[in-house]
Amino acid sequence: MGIEIPFDVATIAGPEVGGVAPPEVIGSYISSAKRPLLVVGSELLRDEFFIDIAIELGKKGIPIAATGHSIRGFVEKGYTENIYYYNLHELTNCLRDPNWEGLDGAGNYDFVIFYGIIYYYASQMLSCLKNFATEPLMRTVSIDRYYHPNARMSFTNIMPRMEEEYKAMLKEFVSSTKR
Amino acid sequence: MEEIKKGGLVDLFDLKNVDIHIGEIVDEGEEEEEWEPMGPHPMPRMATLRDWDFKLLNRYKPFYAPVCDMCCLCTYGKCDLSGNKKGACGIKMDAQQGRMVLLACLVGCSAHCGHGRHLLHDMINKFGRNVPIDFGPEVDIEAPLTRLVCGIKPKTIGDYEQVFSYVEEQIVQLTDALHTGQEGSYMDFESKALHMGMLDSLNKEAADIIQIACYKMPTSLPGGGPDVPLVDVGIGTMNTDNAVIIVIGHNVPPAADIGVYLTENDLEDKVDLGGICCTSIDTTRVYHKAKVTAALGRQLRVLRAGIADVVVIDEQCIRADVLELCQRVHSPMIATNDKAMHGLVDRTDDDPDKIVDDLVSGRVPGVIILEPDQVGEVAVRTALEMDKKRRSLKFILSDDEFKYYVNDCVLCGSCTLACPNGLYIGEANKSAAAGNIKPLADLFDICVGCGRCEQVCKKHIPIVDMMTKAAYPQLKEEKGRMRVGRGPIWDSEIRVVGAPIVLGTIPGIIAPIGCGNYPNGTKDAWLIVKEFAERNYIVTLTGCMAIDCALWKDEDGKTLYEKHHGGFDGGGVLNIGSCVSNAHIHDAAIKVASIFAGRPLRGNYEEIADYILSRVGACGVAWGAMSQKAASIATGFNRLGVPAVVGPHGVKYRRAFMSRPDIKEDWKLIDASDGSDVYVEPGPQDLLVACETVEEALPMMAKLCFRPSDTDRGRSVKLTHYIDLNLKYLHTYPSDWHLFVRAASDLPIATRNELLKKLEDERDWKIDWKKKRIEEGPIRAYNPSFNPTNLERLIRGKK
Repeated sequence: MGIEIPFDVATIAGPEVGGVAPPEVIGSYISSAKRPLLVVGSELLRDEFFIDIAIELGKKGIPIAATGHSIRGFVEKGYTENIYYYNLHELTNCLRDPNWEGLDGAGNYDFVIFYGIIYYYASQMLSCLKNFATEPLMRTVSIDRYYHPNARMSFTNIMPRMEEEYKAMLKEFVSSTKR
Repeated sequence: MEEIKKGGLVDLFDLKNVDIHIGEIVDEGEEEEEWEPMGPHPMPRMATLRDWDFKLLNRYKPFYAPVCDMCCLCTYGKCDLSGNKKGACGIKMDAQQGRMVLLACLVGCSAHCGHGRHLLHDMINKFGRNVPIDFGPEVDIEAPLTRLVCGIKPKTIGDYEQVFSYVEEQIVQLTDALHTGQEGSYMDFESKALHMGMLDSLNKEAADIIQIACYKMPTSLPGGGPDVPLVDVGIGTMNTDNAVIIVIGHNVPPAADIGVYLTENDLEDKVDLGGICCTSIDTTRVYHKAKVTAALGRQLRVLRAGIADVVVIDEQCIRADVLELCQRVHSPMIATNDKAMHGLVDRTDDDPDKIVDDLVSGRVPGVIILEPDQVGEVAVRTALEMDKKRRSLKFILSDDEFKYYVNDCVLCGSCTLACPNGLYIGEANKSAAAGNIKPLADLFDICVGCGRCEQVCKKHIPIVDMMTKAAYPQLKEEKGRMRVGRGPIWDSEIRVVGAPIVLGTIPGIIAPIGCGNYPNGTKDAWLIVKEFAERNYIVTLTGCMAIDCALWKDEDGKTLYEKHHGGFDGGGVLNIGSCVSNAHIHDAAIKVASIFAGRPLRGNYEEIADYILSRVGACGVAWGAMSQKAASIATGFNRLGVPAVVGPHGVKYRRAFMSRPDIKEDWKLIDASDGSDVYVEPGPQDLLVACETVEEALPMMAKLCFRPSDTDRGRSVKLTHYIDLNLKYLHTYPSDWHLFVRAASDLPIATRNELLKKLEDERDWKIDWKKKRIEEGPIRAYNPSFNPTNLERLIRGKK
C-alpha cells in the first residue's frame, strides 16, 4: 500500500485512515468476504462500461444496492436480478445495525464495496461505517477513481486523462474477485 | 448599606450611592387579553419538550457520519474517538457528534436571534415600540410560532423584547450544555439541538414580523400575497451604465435607507441597487426598483467581475475576504453591522462629505457606519462618484489574458482536489486551449464559487475569472424574474387548502430553502420547483433557492414565477422571502392545525407538532445547504414534524434522522378516538435525509409527503406522483410503494388493475378481483376515521 492525498484534499478524519491498494489486492480481499455487498452510485451512469463492470460483479453473486439514480442504468440494460434501489443514507443507516436483515432477508453484510458514488457523499458514509459498524467489524473498500481514507482500501486518485488505465484497473479487479 | 429588613423591605431613603433603573412598566389594566387558554408548555425550557423529542428520536434515530474522528475542544485532547471510543473526558464518538450538531445549531440559531434583536433595536430606535403588528384583513393569526412557543399574542414590535429575552436565556443554557463535563448522551444532545431549532424558527418569525411591520412589506393588503410584483434577477439585469450598489447579507435597514435616499433624491434611474443573498430579497420588499443580482453561490464572482461601484455589507453569508475582493476591483466597501467589521474604522456620525471624500479618493478602502439611516447618503453619493472613476476599468479578463492562462495550466489536478465538487478544471482548460471554451463555461454554474482552486494553483491562474470569462456571453443574458417575498400565508388561504392538504388531495407542500452549495448547479433548483408545481403541489421558496430557480426559463422564455400563480394553493410557486421569512412555512403548517383542525395554539407546541407530523404532508428541501443556519433551520422544521431533504453536501452536517420501516414497533401510533394501537406505514419515513442526485431527490420528496391521515383519495394522488416520479427519474417502480397501500381505493384509478396485479404477483397479496378489493397484504386497512397521534394524553376515549 502507498500513501496518497484524499481526493477532497482536506478529508483527513484522524489517526485511522485506510490505504491505497492495487486492484488485485482489493479483489483478493473481497474474495475472503462471507456476505459482500456492492453499493453503486450515480457516477456509473457516465459510461456504459462502468455499469457493465457492476453487472459482472453482480453475476459473480454479489448483490447490488443501486443508490442515487444509478438503478436506471441497470434497468436500461435489462439487469434486474439481485439488484435493489436504496437511498445511500438510508442504506448506511441499515448497514450500521448488525441486526439488519439485509436486502434479501438473510442478514447484514460483512463487506461493502463502494463504486460510482459522489466522493464526499461516499466519504461520509464510509466514515459512519468505520466508526459505528464495528461490532462485528464491517470491512469497506472503494473501487472508485479516488483515494478514500475512510475506506480500509481504495484506489489512488485517477484523473480523467488516465481513464483508460482506470478501466483496466476495474477489469483487473473483477478478474481478481473470486466468488 | 443598611441590612435589609425582615420581609425583604428596604427603606429607599436610607440608601446611599444606589442607582435605581426602572425597566418596562406593566400596567395591571393593560395585561394581555385572555385570547386563548394557556397551553401546557409556554416558553418551554431545555427539558420541557424532551418527551416529544425522544418520541421523534426513537423513531428517527440519530445517524452520525463524523467529518472528524477527533475531539479538539479541551487540553486533554486531541482525543481519538474513532470506532466510537471514549475520549479523556468520557465522551463517546456518538455523543461528540451530537455535541457538534448542537454547536452548529447554536451558531445558526444565534445568527437569527442576533439578527432579530439587532433589527428590533434599530426599529424601536427609529419607529418606537408601538409599531402595530397588523398584516391586513386576511391574516388574523399574525404570529403562529410566537403564540405556539411563547403563549404570547404580539400586538406591537415592542412585545418581541420578551420573546428575544426568552430565546437568549435558552441559548445561554444550551451553550452551557456544550461545555466539557456536561451532557454525555447523544440523545440528549439531539433533544437540545431540536430545542435550539425550535428557538431558531421563533427568531426567524420574530425578525420577519418586525421588518414587515416597520417597513410595510407585503402582507394581505392590496398588492400583497399572491399579487406581489415581479422583480429582476440575475447578473445580466444589472445596468452597468448606471452607478451600481451591491448589498450583501441579511439585515435590510441599511439597504432600505439606500432605497429611500434614491427615491427622495430622484436618483432611481441613475443608480442600480442590486444585492446578493437575503438582503437583496428583502430590499425588493421595500424598494421595488431593487434587483436581485445573485444568490450566495455567485458572491465571489459578482464581486470579482467589478460590477459594484460600492459594496454595502450587513450580516451573515458575507465572504470573510470581502474587503480584499472589493479592493481588487476598486469598489469602496461600507460595513454596517458590528458583527462584520472587517478591520475598518467606525465612521458612524462622521460628516458624510468627509466619508464620501475618503472613500472616493481611495484614502480608505472602506468604512463602518453602524447607524442604518446614515448609510443611504454615503453609499449613493460614493457610488455616483466611483461610477465616473471606474467606468474605464475592465475586470473581465481580456482574450489574450484568457489564452495565456489556459495555456499555462499544467494539468496538475490540484484545483480538482481542492474543489468541493471535484470539478475537473484542468481538463476544461485544456479544451479551452484547443479552442473549445464550452467545458469551462459549463463549469461556471456548477462551481459553488468558493475560490479554493485558486489557493492551490501553483501557476497562480485566476481560475474563477477564467470561468467567468468563458461564461460571460451567457451571464450578460442572465435575466430572470422572481416574485417579491410575500411574507405570511393568509388565514383565508389556509381555510381553502387546509382540508385538501390534510386529506391529501393537494399532495403536499414542498419548501425549497437555503444556500447554493449545489452538487450540480442552479438548474436543479429550477427542476425541483418545476416538477412539483406542475404536479399541483404547493411550492414555497425562500432564500437562495428562491433566487436560483428564477435564473432559468422554459421554452416560452418564462420563469417559473411567471408561469405559476403565487397563491398558497396547488400549483403555486411562492417566494415567501428571505431566510427569516421561511418561518412562514412553519406558520402555514401550524395554521392548518389551528384553522382547519381547530387545535389550540397557545403554549401548545407538542400537540401541534404531533398533528403536523401525522397529517400535514410538507417536505423541506435544502438542496445546497451550507451554513450553520441551514442546520438549525432544518432542525427546527424537524421538531415541528416536517421532514427535510438535503443535497449530497448535506451529509457533512454529520447527522441525519432516518427511520427503519422494517422495525414494526417504531411505527406504532395511537388512534386518539379510542386509544387503540395502530401499526402504520412509514410516513414520513425520514426527518432528515440526503440524496445523491436531484433525480433521486424528486421521488424522495414525494415519498416524504405521505402521512397516516391521508384519505384514500389523497393517498391515491400521492401514490400516483411517487410512482410516476420513480418511473420518470429512476426508470423503475419504487421498491416500497406497496407499504403505502391500505386498500384498493388508495390506488390511482387509471392504473388500479395493473397495480393490484403487481401486488398479487410480486407481493403475494390476496385480491378479490370481483369486488376489486384487497383481502390480505397491507400493513393496515384503511380507516377513514383514524385519528393518529403519538401522544397518550390526546386519547379521547378508551376502547
